Parts: sequence; structure tokens; C-alpha cells
Amino acid sequence: MTTDSPDKIIDRSAKLVFSFFLSSAGLWLLTAAFFAYLAAAKLTDPFFLSTCEFLTYGKIKVAQANAFVYGWGGNAIFAVSLWILARLSQAEVRGSFFLIVAGVIWNLAITFGLLGILDGHMSGHEMLEMPTEVWPAMLISYLIITFLALVIHRSRQIKETIAPQWFILAALLWFPALFLIAWHGLEINTARGTLQTVLSMWYGQSLIWLWLTPVALGAAYYLIPAVLGRTIDKYYLAIFGFWCIAALAPWSVVHHLEGGPVPMWIPAIGTVMSIAMVFPIAVASTNFHATAFLDIGKVWDSLPLRFVIFGTLSYTVSSYIGVVFSLPAVAKITQFTIINEFHFNQRVYGFFSMIIFGAVYFALPRITGREIPIGAKSFHFWTSTFGVLLLLLAYLIGGLTHGVLAGQPSLEWSSAVIGSIQPYFLITKIAFVILAFSQLVFVVNVWRVIFPNPLSLLATGNKEASV
Amino acid sequence: MNNLAKFTIGIFLTLGIAWLAFVVGAREQYGDLVPSPQVLDEDGSIPADADLFPVDLTGMAKQGAEEYASLGCVTCHTQQVRRVETGFDVERGWGKRPSVPRDYVLQDHVLLGNSRIGPDLANLGLREYSDEWLHQHLFEPQSIIPSSLCPPSPYLYQEIDEPVPSDIEITGADGDDVRNVRPSIRANRLVSYLQSLKQDYELPEVAFVEQPADKEIATQEIKDTTAIVSSSVPDWLQQQMDAGKEVYMKAAAGGGMCFTCHQPNGEGMAGQFPPLAGSDWVLGDKERLIKISMYGLMGEIEVNGVKYNNVMAPPGIPPGSLTDDQIANVLTYIRNDWGNSASAVSAEEVAAVRASLEGRAPMQMFTAAELTPAE
Repeated sequence: MTTDSPDKIIDRSAKLVFSFFLSSAGLWLLTAAFFAYLAAAKLTDPFFLSTCEFLTYGKIKVAQANAFVYGWGGNAIFAVSLWILARLSQAEVRGSFFLIVAGVIWNLAITFGLLGILDGHMSGHEMLEMPTEVWPAMLISYLIITFLALVIHRSRQIKETIAPQWFILAALLWFPALFLIAWHGLEINTARGTLQTVLSMWYGQSLIWLWLTPVALGAAYYLIPAVLGRTIDKYYLAIFGFWCIAALAPWSVVHHLEGGPVPMWIPAIGTVMSIAMVFPIAVASTNFHATAFLDIGKVWDSLPLRFVIFGTLSYTVSSYIGVVFSLPAVAKITQFTIINEFHFNQRVYGFFSMIIFGAVYFALPRITGREIPIGAKSFHFWTSTFGVLLLLLAYLIGGLTHGVLAGQPSLEWSSAVIGSIQPYFLITKIAFVILAFSQLVFVVNVWRVIFPNPLSLLATGNKEASV
Repeated sequence: MNNLAKFTIGIFLTLGIAWLAFVVGAREQYGDLVPSPQVLDEDGSIPADADLFPVDLTGMAKQGAEEYASLGCVTCHTQQVRRVETGFDVERGWGKRPSVPRDYVLQDHVLLGNSRIGPDLANLGLREYSDEWLHQHLFEPQSIIPSSLCPPSPYLYQEIDEPVPSDIEITGADGDDVRNVRPSIRANRLVSYLQSLKQDYELPEVAFVEQPADKEIATQEIKDTTAIVSSSVPDWLQQQMDAGKEVYMKAAAGGGMCFTCHQPNGEGMAGQFPPLAGSDWVLGDKERLIKISMYGLMGEIEVNGVKYNNVMAPPGIPPGSLTDDQIANVLTYIRNDWGNSASAVSAEEVAAVRASLEGRAPMQMFTAAELTPAE
């Protein structure tokens, strides 16, 4: 024991917490995949499960987004952030008991939140649809976890901080701030009229830009040098990229309100700031890709890194597309179409989730000491890649069709406009089946490593807790 | 960057500035909007005894808004008419004017939405649908709009064997399956809410958009559809027309794609494609209409005294693929929509014409001369 390297000791301290958050994240991922399939199936056949009031399209769609972002996203963020912070601080994860208790509360809150949505208690605020009753539990459990993450960071051996730490810490701290702002403006000191929409839209989009995105970027900044064994190319730009995101992203997201019943300066600022976002996007993509392409063979050989580079490429492409779609002339066509789905899935799946998959495949063998079979990982990579690309293409082409046809007032709505994008709904349904399958493989991969012998699960759990 | 406290202050500052603008600033700017009369006095004061807009919803409609939010309707329907320069909403007939913040100040739940798989509903109440139509649509949208993707909500209704007049009659898509359903209180609330959705008043900050006469197609079209649905057209004719309209409007395999040239309003395009609305060819002899629907038409043709010279490939995707039923339906539809009124065409009549043309090479288009009886 005493001869173990410091990394080993840190990994061991993180094992229980990491395993817990990751296995919960996996379950949420499957839940979200199930909802995604149901929603897609309902769009191809409106009579599918139509007699069940708990499963209307509107509810399922919302439940899917919430399960994905808070369930999968939240748990994955906890797992990956804690481990990366511990590794970079060269400090052990402490307070495992409190982390797990908080994690259980977080997961219970989301479970009740989703049940609340299905039972018809949706709040109607974007990405805050879960009934307000569960908000305090979410906030408190989140704060406990963040506090313990900060404790790890505070006890770091090296005072100097680097890019992955900035991004991850900022994300951890931004979420409760956003959550409190939204809570205050929507429920405590309730805004009137469309102010509600401005706020909930701002919250919903910022959640993706200031919570999911920085964690994934931080993980990429950590994993690329760690796997390749070389420093980030043009690293001096990273700090500029970080502050650009911090300063511009919360402004840029409101461009989605273009043309709506809000003061015109709001979407106008959003558009200007969206265009300015090309700077941080360019910085991140230069940092990642200039480094990765110096040693592209190694990237290809390392499966975790392959996931990460897919994610960073996806980030670059999706962000630039987002800039183009924020221009008023383009937004006139694409606004309110299923391009929204393209953006959401590109961000949370093509970018965030792919990087998290990479991080998990990198961390898990180190933490548990057990390898995942390469074939299973590879299968997961290819099905995910194929599924995501199919899904995104369908939403992109379908969304453009949707927008162009909707812009011709003489075309009748349901038969001509929506009728012509129906084939794309069928493609998304197929893509969601492929993705669900792919995610199942991922979860099985992870669970088999975490619980090699399911029967001894309880015994192992107890032993771990007492270590 | 190395001091956690300074770092935290930094990242909260960047977030805080955006918060100041969008939350504090916007609230300061228009957080105290109140209902207003349609026009102010010249000195900007509120005229005495003027009606204020928007008006508050009735209690029933307010409860309906809760149902609307709880069922997740907002996932597919927006409730906002965009400004003319940023969207096609007014052109589409979704409103008389763009929506403005004041329209929403009395709503507890502002359900603007951001996705339009269904049409915008900001002015649903202006489209003159009957309550019965809305109930039918809620119970089973496909019973009145066959191509609708809107999920049915049978759980808001109770099927009834012995109907009373207030019950709703639902005719299945195939026409023979007639059911009677009784709306629950929730369904009535929803309908009352949907009927209340209208921005039919001007405000000091926004006037109705002036529509040129030819831009009122969409509104007109919606009204026509409503009129057909709630008028006294017999069921069998209505079904044939609905099926025909689908052929007319469908631009995918198995459809007719007629609307691309003759336009959804049946007006055609001046100088290129002849109109169907009011056309002497459409309202005249059935046989030549059937022939054109099978083989297409080329060369010069005179419609209502105007000459056209173009090529109409055999209709259908792939060309010439329309079945007897489809031809009967689509011809019945074009003979009875857009103000047209002429006898329906049956599949038997189509079959008879088809038999009489046996031996004619496929895809061999007719000419107008060939179809005009020798004088």
C-alpha cells in the first residue's frame, strides 16, 4: 500500500464516489434514451400510446431533456469533475459519505421531478419544467457536492491552476448562480409578461453554455495532453478563450428571441455577442486540434481520445453553425423549426456526452483497475458516431426544409409543411434506436467494470464505505 | 486565476452583468406595463371611459391555460406573431399584427414557446373555429385533419352511447366509424382557453399590418376549411374532398403534387399555369378531366378565354401513377373547393374512362385539340 503512486491513492479515494455518480448517470442516460424513442415514435404515429395521459408528446419531450441534462449530465459532471479536480490537485477526494448522500438526494429530486412532469405539474419554464417542490432539494444537494469539490481544489499541492481547473470550477459555480437567478425571477419575485420568457430562455440556454459546455471543455483540456503526453499547443490562448466564454456566452444566448414580443435590443445584443463567440470557439478548437493533429495516429489508437476529439470537432462545427443561425436573415427561416433539436442534440450529445464517454473510458480503468474490452468500447464508439451523425443530419436537413416551407404562406400547414418533414421524423426515430442501443452498451460496459460480480454488490459497497 | 476567491468574483461578475441587463434592466424597462386603450389622446393621456386591452381571461379560460401548460402543448405550439421583417407569421394569417409585450402582461403563465411542429396559436380564437370543431380536434385531430401529427387526447372525453345535443360527434378517418363523446370539464376549460386566444385589438405601440388583397390567401384558406367543416356538405362528399385535397397537396410518392403549379388556392400562375378555380375545363366535362389526370396535357389550351402553352406531365409521383380512387377524389376536390361547385367524380367513372383508353401508350400526353369535341 505505501509503495502506491500518489495517483493510485487519489484514484482509490475517488473510486466509490466516481462509481456511484457514473452508475446513476448511466441509468439516467438509458431513461433519457427511452423517452427519446417514445417521443420520436409519437411523431411518426400520433396514435402511439395516445390513450395514456401520462405520456403525451409534450410531457415526454420535456422529461427527456430534463433526464438528459440533470440526470445524465449532472451525475456525469459530478463524477468527472471530482476525479479531474482530485487528480490535478494531487489531493484525495474527501467526504465520500456526504457526496453520496447529496448524490442520492439529487437523483431522488430528479426522479420526483420527472414523475411530476408526467403527472401534469410542469412549470412551463424552459429547462426548469420540474415542479418547484423539488428545486430546493436539487439546489442543496448540488451545493454540498460543489462545496466538497472546492475542498479538493483548496487542498491542492500546486498553487498554479491550469485550463481544465478553470473551466470545471467555473461550471460548478455558475450552475447554482443561474439556478438561483431563475428561481428568484420566476417564482419568488415573479416577473410579469414576457419577462418570464426572457429569463427562462436565458436560463435554459445558459445552462448548456455555462454548465455542460465548460465541463466538457475542461475534460478535453485535461485528457488531450494526458493521453498524448504533450502540452497543449498555443496554450497561452486558453485563458483568453475562457474569459471570452465567461463574458460573451451569457449575452449571446438570447438571440433565440428574435422577432418575438420582447424589446428589440435583447435579441439584437444576442446576435452581436453570438458573432463575437467565434473568438472563444476558435481558441478552443485551435488548442485542441492543433495539439491532436500533431499526433493524429495516437489519437486514433486511443479510444478515449477518439471520443474526445469527436466531441471537440462537434463543438467547433456546432458552434459555428450556431453563429450562422443567429444572424437575423437566417433566423427568419430557421427559428421555431426542428433546427432547435439539431442544436440541442449537437450540444448535449455530439459534444458534451461524447467527451464524457471519452473521460469515463480514460478514468474507469485507472480507478477500478479493470479494463473494458476494446471491442465493446469500439462498438459503442461506432454506433454512437453513426447514430449522432444520422440524427443531426436528419434534424438539420429536416429543419431547413421545415423553415423554407413554413415561409411560404400558401402552403397548407399540416399536410404540406409538416407532411414534408415527416420522413425526417422517421429517420430520427431510427437514429434514437441506434443511440439507445449504443448507450446500453456503454452502460453495460461501465456497470461490468464497476460491479464485476453483481451478487457481491452489497458486500463490496460496505467494504468500500469503510475504507 | 490562482486565487479561488478572485476567480469566483470574476466569473460571477461576467454572469452578473448579463443578469443586470436581461433581468434587472428589462424589468426596469417594461416590467410595469399595464393594459392600455387602443389609442391614446393626443397629449398621450388615457381617454376617459376607454376600453383597456388586453382584457383578462375568464376564470374558465384561466383554468384552461393551466391544462394547456400541464399537457405540454407548448412543446409544439408557439403563441407569438413575429414582426413582419423577421418572420412570415402575419403573411401566413396567424395574426393581424405582430405580438407585443403588452399582450402578455395579464397572463400567469406566459407560454410563448419556441417550436412550431404545430401552427402558432396566438390568434386561434380569431380563426372562427366552432367549439365543436375544437373538441373534435382535441379528441382526435386526425378525424378532421387527416395529416395532423397532433396526438389525440381521448382521456379528456368520455364515450357515450346515447348522446345528448351537447355531446360531440366524431367521424373516423374512414368515414363509417361514428362515435359520440362527452367533453370533460377539463376539455371545456381547454376549449374556452383556446377560443380566448386573440390579439384582435390595436395598441398605441402597434397597429394592424395592412395586407394587400392577394396576401390574404392564408386567412382565407383557413376560413374556407372551417366553412367546409362546419357547413352542410354531406359526409361522403366531405370525405372524398378531404382525401382529394391530400392528393392535391402531397409532394411525395403517392401524391399528386398539383399545388406546385396550380397553387394551393387553385389560382394557377398568370401566363404559365391555368387556374382551376372557376375554370370552364374543371367545371365542365368530366371525361376529359379524367383523361388529363391520367395522361397529362401539352400544347396550347384556352381556359376562361386566356391562352396557355405549357406541358403538364401525367400527374402523380411517379408520373401517371394516380389510382382510380385518387383521381376521383382529387377531381371531386378541385370541382368543389375555392368556390367551385360541380358534381363529384366516382372511381367507377374513372375506371370506365381508363378502360376506353386501353391501348394508348403510357405517358402519351393529350393535346387540347384532341380533347375538344370536333364541331
